[in-house]
Amino acid sequence: MSISELLTEYGDKYVQALFTTWQLTAVSFLLALLIGIVITVMRISPVLPLRMAADFYVQIFRNIPGAALLILLVYALPYLNVVLSYYMCVLIATTLIPSAFCSEYLIAGMNTIGPGQIEAARSLGMTFLQIIRNVILPQAVRSSVLPMTNLLVATMLTTALASQVPLNPRDLTGIVSYINTHAVGGVTAFVISAALYAGTAVLIGQLGSLLDRKVRILR
Amino acid sequence: MKQTQNESHTAVIELRHVDKFFGSLHVLKDISLSVQKGEVLVIIGPSGSGKSTLCRTINRLEGIDAGEIIIDGVPMPEEGKELANLRAQIGMVFQSFNLFSHRTILDNVCLAPMDVLKVPRKEAREKALSLLERVGVQDQAHKVPAQLSGGQQQRVAIARALAMNPKAILFDEPTSALDPEMIGEVLDVMTELAREGMTMVIVTHEMNFAKNVADRVIFMDAGSILEEGKPEDFFAAPKTQRARDFLGKL
Repeated sequence: MSISELLTEYGDKYVQALFTTWQLTAVSFLLALLIGIVITVMRISPVLPLRMAADFYVQIFRNIPGAALLILLVYALPYLNVVLSYYMCVLIATTLIPSAFCSEYLIAGMNTIGPGQIEAARSLGMTFLQIIRNVILPQAVRSSVLPMTNLLVATMLTTALASQVPLNPRDLTGIVSYINTHAVGGVTAFVISAALYAGTAVLIGQLGSLLDRKVRILR
Repeated sequence: MKQTQNESHTAVIELRHVDKFFGSLHVLKDISLSVQKGEVLVIIGPSGSGKSTLCRTINRLEGIDAGEIIIDGVPMPEEGKELANLRAQIGMVFQSFNLFSHRTILDNVCLAPMDVLKVPRKEAREKALSLLERVGVQDQAHKVPAQLSGGQQQRVAIARALAMNPKAILFDEPTSALDPEMIGEVLDVMTELAREGMTMVIVTHEMNFAKNVADRVIFMDAGSILEEGKPEDFFAAPKTQRARDFLGKL
């Protein structure tokens, strides 16, 4: 089938798949940001067990392949009497892995803050959490917009894992398998999905650069 | 015994037998000193003498290995909320200004009063603006630190310390990172503060300033206080050879 034939026949399904991918990406990324911030605060806390636990978390989820994590969630968790829906399994996998990278980027962003600013905050009587909230996190977040933009794109690409489990509605990769079992789309069916991924990534990149220019800290 | 208690009562800052090591290096050797209310104490000495370290131990930016630090009659704890509370009472001005680079000048001055002392926003802003006016940078209130000159940034840092109504302010080489032409504007603000009766501990290499403004001068070398006295006596007739050598090289 040609691209135009595929689009007439399956256009609405592609649109639905695009929205599924966008939604999975957005939810995963927001959760990853939240978890990443918490993990990062733990990693710089004065409490050694917290630091160790958070470092361990990052090492695990930064280094496990997404497919392996998904398989564990789908097939291993039931042995612990935890049975999650396929959607939840995908969402967890596409959240935990980016959350580890998010923490790495925040730590890198923190390294741009002069240690003198932390000392100044301490000398003003701020507690650890006040320093985190007033000085460290705002600067770390504002100086890591570009890596976070890349992380958002990477998160979107990771959501292709959703094609490995039965989901309804399907994501952008899953829709290709669906089409190819119902018609002869071949590589063309992939090309449409790939274009939609790439278009989204370009859009994210543009918005990221705009945001970066707006919030960048003068030093 | 009674006498020491009376003494410690009027002292804003008191150090008793403070020792500090960096690894095997003994950087502060049995330091005892007290700073009275309204007193301006200037610490001078060669690089590596421990004068900055001494200044930084007073509000525990550097920990100590032995001894006691007492702020207005209260022993300084090692960590936690009480340490933060005591630190809030002692201002600090650094060599490299250390303003919060993501906040405006006004926010830099308001932030701690609002978040640490829970001063209402409106009140904190009014006070901050009047302090910025006092140090002569009211026109810069809505800029960020990187848009200001070094001298302006340091004056903002002084306003930021003042905004906490501190019992004393520590100055750790406040003019060492400044161009010569900006040193004067910062020293002027400090001189003014001294005249108004602020308790100050100042680490500096500005000897003229020390002569004119200090109530007392401490000369340090190799982690010890070698001399202590009124500036007119110290600069005219230093007692130790080490101090004579140091002053002779200036």
